[in-house]
Amino acid sequence: MIQATGLVKRFADRKRGAVVALDGVSFEARGGEIFGLLGPNGAGKTTMLRVLATILRPTGGTATIGGADVVREPERVRGLIGFTSGDMGQYGRLTPRESLEFFARLNGLEGARLKSRVGEVMDRFGISEYAAAKIDKLSTGMKQKVAIARTVVHDPPVLILDEPSSGLDVPSARMIEEFIVSAKKSGKCVLLSTHIMEEAEYLCDRIGVVNHGKLMAVGTMEELRQSTGKQRLREVFLALLGLSPNGQEATA
Amino acid sequence: MNWKVMMAIFQKEMLELLRDRRTMISMVVVPLFAMPAIFGVMGKFIQSREKEASGEAMIVGVDASRAGAAAAALRAAGFELRSESGLRAAVENKAVAAGVEADAAAGGMRYRILVDRTRQASAIAGEKIRAVLEKLKDDTVRSSLHGSGVPESVLTPFSVDTVNVASQKKMGGFLLGSSLGYLVILLMFTGAMYPAVDTAAGEKERRTLEALLCSPAPRNAIVLGKVLACATASFLTALLAMASMVYSYRHTPFAAVLGADMRLDLLDPSTFGLVVLSVLPIAMLAASLMVAVSLFAKSYKEGQSYLTPLLMVVVFPAVLGMLPGTELTPALALIPIFNVCQIVKEIFLGSFSTAAFAVAFAANLTYASVAFFAATRIFRTESVLFRV
Repeated sequence: MIQATGLVKRFADRKRGAVVALDGVSFEARGGEIFGLLGPNGAGKTTMLRVLATILRPTGGTATIGGADVVREPERVRGLIGFTSGDMGQYGRLTPRESLEFFARLNGLEGARLKSRVGEVMDRFGISEYAAAKIDKLSTGMKQKVAIARTVVHDPPVLILDEPSSGLDVPSARMIEEFIVSAKKSGKCVLLSTHIMEEAEYLCDRIGVVNHGKLMAVGTMEELRQSTGKQRLREVFLALLGLSPNGQEATA
Repeated sequence: MNWKVMMAIFQKEMLELLRDRRTMISMVVVPLFAMPAIFGVMGKFIQSREKEASGEAMIVGVDASRAGAAAAALRAAGFELRSESGLRAAVENKAVAAGVEADAAAGGMRYRILVDRTRQASAIAGEKIRAVLEKLKDDTVRSSLHGSGVPESVLTPFSVDTVNVASQKKMGGFLLGSSLGYLVILLMFTGAMYPAVDTAAGEKERRTLEALLCSPAPRNAIVLGKVLACATASFLTALLAMASMVYSYRHTPFAAVLGADMRLDLLDPSTFGLVVLSVLPIAMLAASLMVAVSLFAKSYKEGQSYLTPLLMVVVFPAVLGMLPGTELTPALALIPIFNVCQIVKEIFLGSFSTAAFAVAFAANLTYASVAFFAATRIFRTESVLFRV
């Protein structure tokens, strides 16, 4: 479903000069799999997800989603993905129904098919009862449900989720987890970037650790434990980043 | 171009704009309610000032010992005369509206009217005093001729009249058409300003742009949907402002101030249709330019500060178009903004050239297209969209 080969992304930053945000990243994520991306702030996770979502154009390398190339067929790629991030905003002056109908139309749905699909996702995420209220008036948890519903309104085979549960309370975070698990069960490919170790350990089939724009390691939890000799994901993560358990650079 | 997607974006933008208080105030409330209120208050103020000035103008200072017959004539004309020793100082200090000095000269009396032209009441008083004294002069000549056998008609061997051949519509166009073109252009740009900031910089600030960018909507469809929404807002602002101005010119106290010659007949369908047609490309130009510039801003506030200088740039050719005596040649018809101000003025004068109109229309449409393609290009630039 997702195939990235030698992805490179360079920025020209006025303050920092030339920045290499992605430095030859290669990985593959399959249907019915949750692929986790772990890395410290500024490691290049969000850039990678934006390149795969065709919002940013890679400087080098290739990537395909469902066989569509992110550079040559960006509109086709965008039709195959559902993308959301924890800090993505919403159209606050619209109601959840209007917002979902809008994104369904952007994805080519219309008429009766649009109505039934919007009704379906609203029922599934329990949005129907506040479907006519302005999004600005909703609680954070309700807004997050609308965001997730918006991501899947066109039933995409690939989900790209950038820290979807950041800043959420426990019940809302739990709702996100359940959604991710059910997406996996329905055969979708889920690419999940997260800071929450527990979430990654519980949800992900395979994990890729990113630092300084490079993919340091990829594997199942068991494979990562074996390669580092550590048990807890937090320790595995720090070991792969070359940091000691207190976050200092490891000396040995 | 995916027209269905473009329409979805246009409708979403319109829905958001119609629910935004700032846009509604600038698009509907200001043109519909503020204008009649401003014109009404202005008309009332001018009327009351004029009334006050005419009352004040009737108080005149005279040199009572010398004014003699002039004083009697002024008194008979309804002036209130005050005897002042220092007439110049009295006029300067506003003790009287004007003063009349009299000197016995070799050829007869010489009167000097002292006025302060910076004061309306003083200027009015001066004109009225001159009329009274001219009449006194004529009456004096008449009484001298009386009994001499010379007919009074020798005083007026012929008369001169100037006849204005311009129609009332043409007069209205001449007096108000030029300023109306300037006002309409300015309102179109201010009408597009809030929607453009909201739809471009506002999307960045509210962090909704990323969701739109990762949908399958083609970039040019997104930009066109946004530009059309801003152009609609710009056009509606101008339309409401024009309707409001027509109402103000006719039904507020300002109508009395303007007088019959200046009542603009905007509801004449051909005039209205031509004005609307000529300003249409300007709505697209204003919207495209403002969306393009606003895309560089990362917040609503920053967007406003980027667009304010653009408004000033627009004012310059609009003011040139307002100046009397300028005429639209095919070459001048290529200057954006200026050309529409001129066209609007000439439409009201009923003397516009079809060739100049066609050149101006085509030129403005070209500028609007260039601005739209610039906006689309900017919308594809990562460093602009993800400016941190």
